[in-house]
Amino acid sequence: MRATQTPAVGSPGTPGAEAAITSPPPASGGLPAGRRIRSTQWAAMAFAAPLIVYLVAFYAFPLYRNIELSVHDYTIRAFVQGNAEFVGLANYADIITSQTFLPALRNTALFTAVSIAFQYTIGLGLAVFFRNNFRLSGVLRGMFLIPWLLPLIVSASTWSWMLNSDSGIVNSVLQAFGIGQINWLTSPGMALVSVIIANIWLGIPFNLVILYSGLQNISPDIYEAASLDGASGWKRFWYITFPLLRPVSAITLLLGLIYTLKVVDVIWIMTTGGPGDVSTTLAVWSYREAFGTGQPAFSPASAVGNLLILIALAFGVLYLYVQRREDVS
Amino acid sequence: MTSRPRWWKTALGVFFTALMLFPVYWMVNVSFTKTKNMRADPPHWFPWDATTEGYQAVFHQQMPALATSLLIGFGSVALTLVISAPAGYALAKLRLRGTGSLNFILLVAQMIPAVVMAMGFYAIYLRLGWLNTIVGLIAADSTVAVPFGVLLFTAFMSGIPEELIQAAKIDGANTWQTFRSVILPVCRNSIVTVSLFAFLWAWSDFVFASALDRNGSMIPITLGIYKYIGSNTTEWNSIMAAAVVASVPAAILLVVAQRYVAAGVTAGAIKD
Amino acid sequence: MRGMRNTVIRLAKSARVAAFVGVVALSGAALTACSSAGNSSGTASTGGGTYTWWDPYPQHDASSDWAKRVDACGTAAGVTIKRTAYDTTALTNQALLSAQEGTSPDVILLDNPAVSTLADTGMLNTTQELGLDTSSIDKNLLAAGVVKDKTYGIPIGANTLALYYNKKILDAVGVDPATITSWASLTAALAKVKAAGHKGITFAGIGTEEGSFQFLPWFWGAGANLKQLDSSQAVAAVTLWKDWLAKGYAPNSVITNSQNTTWEEFLTGNFAFGENGTWQVDSAAKAGFPTGIIQIPAENGGAAPAPTGGEFLTAPVQKATGRYATTKKIINCMTTTDGQVKTATTFAYYIPPTAAGQQQLLAQKPDLKAWVDAVKSAKGRTSDNLGTDYPKISQAMWTGVQKALSGSLSPKDALVGAQQAALKATR
Repeated sequence: MRATQTPAVGSPGTPGAEAAITSPPPASGGLPAGRRIRSTQWAAMAFAAPLIVYLVAFYAFPLYRNIELSVHDYTIRAFVQGNAEFVGLANYADIITSQTFLPALRNTALFTAVSIAFQYTIGLGLAVFFRNNFRLSGVLRGMFLIPWLLPLIVSASTWSWMLNSDSGIVNSVLQAFGIGQINWLTSPGMALVSVIIANIWLGIPFNLVILYSGLQNISPDIYEAASLDGASGWKRFWYITFPLLRPVSAITLLLGLIYTLKVVDVIWIMTTGGPGDVSTTLAVWSYREAFGTGQPAFSPASAVGNLLILIALAFGVLYLYVQRREDVS
Repeated sequence: MTSRPRWWKTALGVFFTALMLFPVYWMVNVSFTKTKNMRADPPHWFPWDATTEGYQAVFHQQMPALATSLLIGFGSVALTLVISAPAGYALAKLRLRGTGSLNFILLVAQMIPAVVMAMGFYAIYLRLGWLNTIVGLIAADSTVAVPFGVLLFTAFMSGIPEELIQAAKIDGANTWQTFRSVILPVCRNSIVTVSLFAFLWAWSDFVFASALDRNGSMIPITLGIYKYIGSNTTEWNSIMAAAVVASVPAAILLVVAQRYVAAGVTAGAIKD
Repeated sequence: MRGMRNTVIRLAKSARVAAFVGVVALSGAALTACSSAGNSSGTASTGGGTYTWWDPYPQHDASSDWAKRVDACGTAAGVTIKRTAYDTTALTNQALLSAQEGTSPDVILLDNPAVSTLADTGMLNTTQELGLDTSSIDKNLLAAGVVKDKTYGIPIGANTLALYYNKKILDAVGVDPATITSWASLTAALAKVKAAGHKGITFAGIGTEEGSFQFLPWFWGAGANLKQLDSSQAVAAVTLWKDWLAKGYAPNSVITNSQNTTWEEFLTGNFAFGENGTWQVDSAAKAGFPTGIIQIPAENGGAAPAPTGGEFLTAPVQKATGRYATTKKIINCMTTTDGQVKTATTFAYYIPPTAAGQQQLLAQKPDLKAWVDAVKSAKGRTSDNLGTDYPKISQAMWTGVQKALSGSLSPKDALVGAQQAALKATR
């Protein structure tokens, strides 16, 4: 039974993509068609029931609450006493016309795009590098996940220390090479760059693990066939590995996008969104409105939060649309 | 395979890992540094003037918190697997009606910022009596991993060839038995990956612990660290020492688990 | 087929092994966790019920002197106190959340700028309602808790800012700290220090309330007013800091420095001056070089008013109004003169808010005189009837200062923008 020409077998990122399997559908059991489908449906619902209960219990309420916060005027007095005035979309109008909105939007776009681009590329490069098992490769790969263990306050603080203008090790090393002092966290030009660098570092383990998993599921037979045809290293990567990895890459990039949009701690601990607004993203803005000042402003914070969810949603819809097109083609 | 010398790959691997883990080295460096040397300019590469006061503080005060974090981590893993693996199977193989919308909802679920979730949970937990309990925190921490787990399991399971399932059916297995004896073992790769993510996310969580388990008798290490953060003063060497001590058991777990993720499980199951 | 089946069986076996290991590890962790989780902060029950107490001192755990004092006051009032410590930033929000749900604790120690904010929501009782006597408390220290002529809490003590100096460096360059009484003399001293190869001054300019806290002495010392962030005096204050950065008298890192980081920088012994508060008195005594303090100078001479730090004891509104009698006893117990002096020394160093308390403290520790004087001339941040407007003005101010210091805008433009933002936010 030659099922090995099915490279997509087991590769994550292809929900429902059974078209990749080329063997003919097996003969069914003895039950008539109608009965069989219904019993499968019951089983399916039983298996999915815990998830659905879980989703309703844990996600529906916070989401509803967030929307409710954003369409009322929740001064903290109203928050405590529960008598907020309904203001419709006024909070959204306020934040869009605020002077922080455009810089935050721009910073979010830059932060997310650059972070993901580098995280993905570096993760992919490392995954390919680690694929050929050499000595210590397993241990080293495991060690790459260590940054993930650390509470964010610790990793973000460590980066703050390293990038300190005066007592940071990075500037110390640069000065040894003759480069002048760079004000990583305090200059308007470099603050965003610094938080992006820290965020890339934090995101590499995630990309590495998933892409490596995806690479593992590409059968070596394909490569054997390719090398018989005379394809060499770079060509093999570009024409075989990369296209086969596309479903995995798509899900990695989408999840990376969603997680990066939500990032607050790293930026908050390193620069608190400053100096001024130069490293404030939408997520940081939302957090600052709710928790960063002495007067929590929950309504604008939740409005910005919802805007963020909408942006992520747009990308999610795009992803599903592209997925569906690929399934059909 | 060609027999090129592999030592240069190992050397390169070590170099990359060292580069990646340099901030972790710095963390260890700070954990041994005396407060008066914290902001030395130029900074000390190695803690020549070392102190162990950070570690002493951690060993005297933080061990229960460490155990609590471990408990929450494992609990989170168990809960995540119990919910997401069957759901993944339902979505991938059992042709559940409404798969598309469920996928969509799972994506949306991951987009909600943690702070929003925490505030919502506070209200729910208050009514359920789950505030300041380990159970509540496990449930909250798993909300980060469950949608991801379902996504991963769905994707992986839909790639399992139908022959395996049909073979089991021919042998007389019902859906549950098929799931337990055929699907789960084949998915070992995904199970380990999802467990890894769930554990790591629960281990490093702060937002939920802060909102939901403040006054509990068992608090995780991320909250324990705040003992060293007063309103105007911070003991950085203790904080970093706590992070180092907390990382050691989890790091060992990681290195061991990586070997399971490494094995290409389907390779053995599919080839003739 | 056979090969596949065998592989599957093998894999199933290893899955079972993994599960078994997992369960063992889980129970092991559970056992350890359960056995070591025995410390709760309650003392032996005194039969009167449990009262809840929140404070922002997580560094003082259940075995600390502070916790024991709190417990003792509870016992004296006939109840058990369950104490929870939050970090300051989380405390206000947690208080709001619990007030919304109707589960407020019986006593909260609130950072003084937050008192008017929470009072405005109606969740705090006035001292009058509780029958507490605030007549002996220094007016300038009580002001932060006064909203529309009603008092909402009692300060447990106050701290404030001053300039610590490194005696070794100042002696080496020949500067007598007693001569530093104005901005001009301070800047001149900094120039001398820098010329001799040392670093000048460090302070906290971070984009949070701490940054505003450290900027206010200079702001007020120039004669500026928080209701007018773009006055020429305010611009002068920002320009002072900016010039120091430009000339290298202050390091660039001040823009992201917290007060703790500022102190760490000062402890390296390379800085002549460090702006910090009473809480570092013990640390200063243990530093590797001799230190002293001077009051932060005003622009044209004299001491600048510095902002007060410190918490207020507040009593949130409860559904069961019968609880207030005991709450009053607890609060009174914590604020006796002896109690205030004990609090002062526990918290290195809150200055007691009453004349009697201050005298007693000075009898025990005469070298705190300079700090007592500083606190007496200090000012609450929410005074001048700013109340709930203060947090918004503060945010605009620290943002403006950050923009000016980092060079995004000139001091004047930065403060004009700040004033606009403050006006918009306090509309």
